[in-house]
Amino acid sequence: MAADARTLKQLVLGRKDVQDLSDIEQELPPDLMTVNMGPSHPAMHGTVRIVLTVDGEKIIKGDVQPGYLHRCFEKEAEHATYTQVFPYTDRLNYVSPMINNCGWAMAVEKLMGLTTKIPRRAEYIRVIVSEMSRITDHLTCVGASAMELGAFTPFLYLLKSREWMYELLEKVSGARLTHSYVRVGGVSQDLPENFGPELTQVLDRTAEVMVECQDLLNNNKIFHDRMAGIGAITREDAIRTGCVGPIARAAGVDYDVRRDFPYSVYPELEFDVPLGTTGDCYDRYLIRLEELKQSMRILRQCLVQIPEGPIMSDDHRVALPPKAATYNTIESMIRHFKHIMDGVRVPAGEAYSFVEGGNGELGFFIVADGTGRPYKAYCRSPSFVHLSTAEMLFKDHFIADVVPIFGMINMIGGECDK
Amino acid sequence: MSDVAAPTTPPAPAPAPDHVTLTIDGQSVTVPKGTNVLEAAKLLGNDISAFCYHPGLPIVAQCRQCLVSIEKNPKLQPSCQQVCVESMAVHTTDAQSTLARKQQLEFTLVNHPIDCPICDKAGECTLQRLYFDHDNADSRVDTQKVHKAKAVDLGPTIVLDQERCILCSRCIRTCDAVAGVHQLEFANRGDHEILTTAPGEQLDNPYSLNTVDVCPVGALTSKDFRFTMRAWELEATPSVCNGCATGCNIELHHKNDRAWRIVPRHNEAVNSYWMCDEGRTTYHELREDRLAAAVVDGLPASWDKAVQAAAKRLGVFLTRDASQVGVVLSALHSNEDNFALAKLAKLWGAGHVYVAGKPLVPARADGRLRVADVNPNATGVKAIAEALGLTLLPTLELDRGTPANLRALIILGDVVPGLDAVKLKEIEIISIAAHERGPVPHAKVALPCASWAETGATTTNQKGLVQRMHAAVTSPGAAIAGWDAVVRLAAATGQKLAYAHARDVFKDMTATVPAWKELTWQRDVRPLALRFAGSRG
Repeated sequence: MAADARTLKQLVLGRKDVQDLSDIEQELPPDLMTVNMGPSHPAMHGTVRIVLTVDGEKIIKGDVQPGYLHRCFEKEAEHATYTQVFPYTDRLNYVSPMINNCGWAMAVEKLMGLTTKIPRRAEYIRVIVSEMSRITDHLTCVGASAMELGAFTPFLYLLKSREWMYELLEKVSGARLTHSYVRVGGVSQDLPENFGPELTQVLDRTAEVMVECQDLLNNNKIFHDRMAGIGAITREDAIRTGCVGPIARAAGVDYDVRRDFPYSVYPELEFDVPLGTTGDCYDRYLIRLEELKQSMRILRQCLVQIPEGPIMSDDHRVALPPKAATYNTIESMIRHFKHIMDGVRVPAGEAYSFVEGGNGELGFFIVADGTGRPYKAYCRSPSFVHLSTAEMLFKDHFIADVVPIFGMINMIGGECDK
Repeated sequence: MSDVAAPTTPPAPAPAPDHVTLTIDGQSVTVPKGTNVLEAAKLLGNDISAFCYHPGLPIVAQCRQCLVSIEKNPKLQPSCQQVCVESMAVHTTDAQSTLARKQQLEFTLVNHPIDCPICDKAGECTLQRLYFDHDNADSRVDTQKVHKAKAVDLGPTIVLDQERCILCSRCIRTCDAVAGVHQLEFANRGDHEILTTAPGEQLDNPYSLNTVDVCPVGALTSKDFRFTMRAWELEATPSVCNGCATGCNIELHHKNDRAWRIVPRHNEAVNSYWMCDEGRTTYHELREDRLAAAVVDGLPASWDKAVQAAAKRLGVFLTRDASQVGVVLSALHSNEDNFALAKLAKLWGAGHVYVAGKPLVPARADGRLRVADVNPNATGVKAIAEALGLTLLPTLELDRGTPANLRALIILGDVVPGLDAVKLKEIEIISIAAHERGPVPHAKVALPCASWAETGATTTNQKGLVQRMHAAVTSPGAAIAGWDAVVRLAAATGQKLAYAHARDVFKDMTATVPAWKELTWQRDVRPLALRFAGSRG
């Protein structure tokens, strides 16, 4: 009778009970096992699939398969005017869209020979919104990583702080996340009234939040144990694999585009480039914390130094005429029409221009053929390069280590998959 | 093929005696004697701005937009009228001519209305393009603009906006040179000068809409097209007009799978820069009375069922006596459609082969572009039948009496003169047609096929020139290419026509018709978005 019941159970469940397994069957299987992480997994930033080959808990191989967020950014750009590409750049690194905006604008300006002719107020505004974006980027990275390691409180604190930034950026551009704020030749609109005091207040409050979070995280045993010594990369490997930004700097690569290839008004601003020593996740975390402080330092200087003046170049090749002139003179009407319909006319040529993005050197390469849209556009996205190191970093770690390593690589799907 | 690009004049090291060599902005160029400086500059990729100059029209040099400086000549010269001379040194980018262009544009814009948002020409406007490329400065005018009449009805096809007119006279010359009638003139002087019809005349000639094409601004607008679609939203696909046997080269402008207008495409061998008004309206037909699904005995059916039904009806005759079956080719269909059907007729051993088409319209022939034969492909059908050794009879012969043994007809197309109601009842009709009219509603089985704008094919004009048409829009419902319908019908009757693509039909056809041996299939072209066409206007 009992045997019959077991048989029935086996039929229904399709497997044996543990007590029915033989001794050999009860041991762990000796073969390697394949475990899927993602594409939809809470610890996957964006949508990305990692196929882990594990020996017990140890990772033998972590095959990273990106591409789920591919939107044909580069191909789409060929079919849009130079100005229409800005919304697409918003969706690259969507945690710091302003920097992408600036990068694209600077590449087009380089082609047009406008780099030194952007009004100074516009340059300052660009730096302000870029640094605000860097702050939102790092806050997200640190907050999300902490949460994935079980520290929920800092996540809420840091994202609350990020929201203050977003609110301010929304006042500037009209959109919370996808700003499309920068234009070739300047920015689309001036800073809102009372922007300086509001930003100062946000910075002050963010500084307080950061102190709280540092207290919660820096010497937190769980956090420290899961970050320190995990996913380390040597200086040589970082250079060899093309790492940039916080990851490279954590490994001791002294490179920051803002300082080494100065653009915009960065030469007029004082800031330090923090460097790490071990190149592990904990160093990356500390670097991001320090960069947050440096960004705040830059912002405070900008608020003091920003001059009054125009926010758009007066070059008729890029500047839209004022609305009053558009509606009342045929010359401006045609110019407006041509700018919107045909696009900013960029002379034939090619240019590579790069800025320091949230994740490091963000570059745009454009081939222009003299029309209003790019003949070819290419984006050197740091996330894509960094993701290529992931397999190397995962090796010989535990499955649980994937989370902090991946979090500190800060792969942003939109930017990586383009 | 007509679409092969004309080779550009190569800079010959030792110029022939009928050529001259000159330098433009320091670049040397050799051109045939008699070429004007503007055309010579074009060879170097330098598009000197101009409003009144048109390569297909007499030169008047009245817009003064193309002024250039020529060494040893104290005054600027209009490059359109200036003939190239040996060792001439022309400058188009020096301060003097650059300023002249800018000032001329500023002058042209003084009284131009602020109409771009409501103007049909916006997006393909020469004035917009030249201003943006050569001037791009702010307005300095602080006086009122001179106002003129806004919507002047010039005739049955065209409306004039006198304010927009920049008085280039291209339209006047087009009427004179292309249509051979003097129907437009300038009146008044100074900034009150206007374009108007000649005394006692209307702008009413078969080539009137060419004036709309050549108008560098939106002064002349086609009643057929105006306010229907913004020019920059359209896409252009090259094709050939199916309005008559001339086969004017055209561009079909379409958007969202619907054709919106037809404009001529330059081909010196056929139509130069022009086409007739009648041809331009043929796009309307693409949406009229279309047969979108196969029909069996008056009821819609699937392709498979319809083809089986046709094969069953034909099988009775084909197995007994194939000479009871007749085939009607169409002078309105492409070479490929006709060749496939003619080939099938041969495989069957059909007893009668006819050709159908619209009757001649002798009044249409004017010695210019319009001819009496309003069928686009009569020449092609003839050549195909000859090559396959088929005796071709016009369907009008049926009027004199149906051959006693004619029991079934496979008809291509919807125009079949000579078939009256009685005959339509007596004979089993299988129809392959794009439109549901003529004999098609009487057919026992009707198979829907694509029109000329919906499939890649070739057509043969009156002079025997085989020209390529490209697919611009998708065909409605279940309609497929005519040759494809024939292939399916053939398969159902147990015959094999191994064609998978129009190219296969074309290859078989050119191997069969001796005169077409050298022809090659031109690859499909992708539609060109007018918004990004750059140099339009």
